[in-house]
Amino acid sequence: MNAPQPALVAPRPERLRLVGQRRQMLAVMHQRLMFGMVLYAGLIALIALRILYLAAFGDHAGRKEGLTALIPDRGDILDRDGEPLARTIDAWTIAVHPGKVIGDKLALAQKLAQLMPEQTSEQYFALLRSNKPFIYLRRRASPELVEAVNAIGEPGVAIEREPDRLYPQTSLAAHTLGFTGIDGHGGAGVERAFDTYLSDPRTRGSPLVLSISSKVQQALEAELGDAKEHFSAIGAAGVVMDVHTGEILAMTSLPAFNPNAPGQATPDQMFNRATLGVFELGSTFKPFTLAMAMDSGVVSGPSQIMNCPQVLPAYGHLVHDTHPFGRQCSIAEVMMESSNIGMAQIADKLGTARQKAWLKKMGFLDKAEVELKEKGRPLTPGSRWGPFETMTIGFGQGIAVAPLQLAMGYATLFDGGIYHPPTVLKIGPDHPLPPGRRVFTADTSYRMRSLLRLVVMKGTGKKADAPGYRIGGKTGTAQKIINGRYSQSINLTSFAGVFPMDDPRYVIVVMLDEPKATKETYGFTTAGWNVAPVVSRTVSRIAPMLGVAPDMNREPNMSEVLPYVQEAKKPESSKD
Amino acid sequence: MSARSFGSLFMVASCATAALGCYLVSLRVASERAALENVETRIVLAQRDLRVLQTEIGTRGRLSQLERWNAGAFSMNAPAANQLLGGSFELAKLTRPEKQVDFKAPIVLASAPAPAPQRAPIGQPETDDAGAPVAIPMPGGMLHEASLKTETREVPARTVAALPEPAGMKSADKPVTAAKPARIKSADMPGLAAAQSRPAKAAPTTIAGASKTAPKKSVDKPVLGAAKPMTKRVQLAKTDPLAPLPDKHSGRPKDAPTGR
Repeated sequence: MNAPQPALVAPRPERLRLVGQRRQMLAVMHQRLMFGMVLYAGLIALIALRILYLAAFGDHAGRKEGLTALIPDRGDILDRDGEPLARTIDAWTIAVHPGKVIGDKLALAQKLAQLMPEQTSEQYFALLRSNKPFIYLRRRASPELVEAVNAIGEPGVAIEREPDRLYPQTSLAAHTLGFTGIDGHGGAGVERAFDTYLSDPRTRGSPLVLSISSKVQQALEAELGDAKEHFSAIGAAGVVMDVHTGEILAMTSLPAFNPNAPGQATPDQMFNRATLGVFELGSTFKPFTLAMAMDSGVVSGPSQIMNCPQVLPAYGHLVHDTHPFGRQCSIAEVMMESSNIGMAQIADKLGTARQKAWLKKMGFLDKAEVELKEKGRPLTPGSRWGPFETMTIGFGQGIAVAPLQLAMGYATLFDGGIYHPPTVLKIGPDHPLPPGRRVFTADTSYRMRSLLRLVVMKGTGKKADAPGYRIGGKTGTAQKIINGRYSQSINLTSFAGVFPMDDPRYVIVVMLDEPKATKETYGFTTAGWNVAPVVSRTVSRIAPMLGVAPDMNREPNMSEVLPYVQEAKKPESSKD
Repeated sequence: MSARSFGSLFMVASCATAALGCYLVSLRVASERAALENVETRIVLAQRDLRVLQTEIGTRGRLSQLERWNAGAFSMNAPAANQLLGGSFELAKLTRPEKQVDFKAPIVLASAPAPAPQRAPIGQPETDDAGAPVAIPMPGGMLHEASLKTETREVPARTVAALPEPAGMKSADKPVTAAKPARIKSADMPGLAAAQSRPAKAAPTTIAGASKTAPKKSVDKPVLGAAKPMTKRVQLAKTDPLAPLPDKHSGRPKDAPTGR
């Protein structure tokens, strides 16, 4: 049974083996099928879920991204009253793709020259034949021009809208605002200082509100521009500042430029005389010297009597006055008649070390703390700062600061002696007032009021008075250094004023660079004749807007100074 | 049996219907959302247009342009200090109440009770007031009116005045002419003070002119003196009726002849 069966037995294990294999194969196949099915089911489930998700939460085909809110490509800049000073709008741009022009290039060039006459038809033809892929023909084109160019019907001419920075007030506050380059980034002023804020998508939606008031700015620019033209000055600068907060309400530098077309501006126009330029501002410095002396106890007050000779010899030099007293005079008179001799003696008593410390405290030895990047570093005698330099700085020669810093100094002096850094941003919930620091005592600040009012009432600044607005201030006529020497005829005149003097609220500083004498000034080029009237006119324009009510019956406490002034003087004093 | 075998089919169908329903809801939501977004887009586009237009207006009406227009065409200046007022009180201070003399109403009535007792004092001075010639014929009839109207109140004065001084009639023409300006003046400036001042001013000129004018001056003064004892109202009335006189006077000659 066993013998014949070996053949039978032998295949058995084979068949068995086959059966085992088939089972195994079947199992594998099942596994693979299952795997494939799971895979496909998973895929389908994934797609179905995705579809369901999209149906429930997804965007639909017609959805427009980014249009749910109007976020300009660059943030707006507004003035303190919400008037736009800089905006980004879509402007028409006309360009050409020379390679895509299919019509007659010569005829096209002629038509373009007809519509845009800034280039000749030959130049246009040369452009059209060049190998450049893309050429701008006109940016910020007017709608009429765009329509006319479009009517040519040439597909090679591209008419597009692209964001463009527009300054609606043109040259108003141009130096404060600055400009933007073709790349859309700020090139100067606020545009440069706040470039990241204005271009960051997270912040550019909310406009940047400046402390500038466009109405005040316009009044200052117009009056200063008139004076600059009238006296043929090479330049002018002006600042109006809030005494209590340090906000700059207006700041101008003339000649100005048009930020809409910064490429056409000359370097002289671009130069910000109010912050970047530093000038020896002359007698406008005298109130600081006096305040320092009063605070230090060197001078008791306006009543103190001192010797005012015709000429004061000091440290190997002679100090002159344009209208010397030649007698004993009071501090009030020194201030009223802007006596260099008197002020030099006060500065001498104060001493170099104290003067430096005070100037440092007032921020006159460093760049101004304003946000703008165009800031000039003050010029001081440096290592040569000896007793004679102390004297000259006492009356404003030998130290050069920016007009903005002068305004800052007056704001400090009349804000009860508290310094607030000047700012171009509006003080408000978004930009709270930073804590100030005390420089002068409140008493000194109070006593300076009547002294500066006296200058305008009876002294060198009579022409700066605006009836009812109680302006107080100081004229300054500084000699300019021409070829290394102080010129006797070329001046830089300035006036620093505060109003209303019985409760100081605003500082105004104006400056004229190299004003010439005219018939009305009787040949004088001193500040009392050319910049003081600018202050008078500007203040009578801006004060009602700033809420300063005119009052003919209010004055600071003049009884502190008037008793110490000798009346019988020449009729018209016209020095610095 | 059949229901059982179709059970799964029903399940599938109901599932499909539910899914379809859900899908329809979702579709509806999506379409609503699309419509909303469309509106939002249009709002944004409108805002952009607004911006562009505002910018254009702002650019065309920029301050430097306004300044140029002002210099060229309007030439307006900043207000001077005395042109600005501190408040409504200061504004009210600027206006003074206008003195209006209303000849018609209350004064008439106030003077009404006066006629009987004051005939003599009033009349005497006014005799010279040139009313004399005209007044004589009127007394009876006019007294009635005097109690009713201002016009008449003036009249009795004259009549009474005319009675004691018939001699004054000679000067009838001249006093009339001379009296007119005096009356007109007092008409211009009513009030007791004015009445007092006028005669004083007129006196020197009249004295220089003629002796007949002298009684005139004295005429006015007695009038005032006579007025004092009266009540205040009567005093006022005394001066006021002088004003309408010119009218009356012109009318009187017409009336008088007819009366006669």
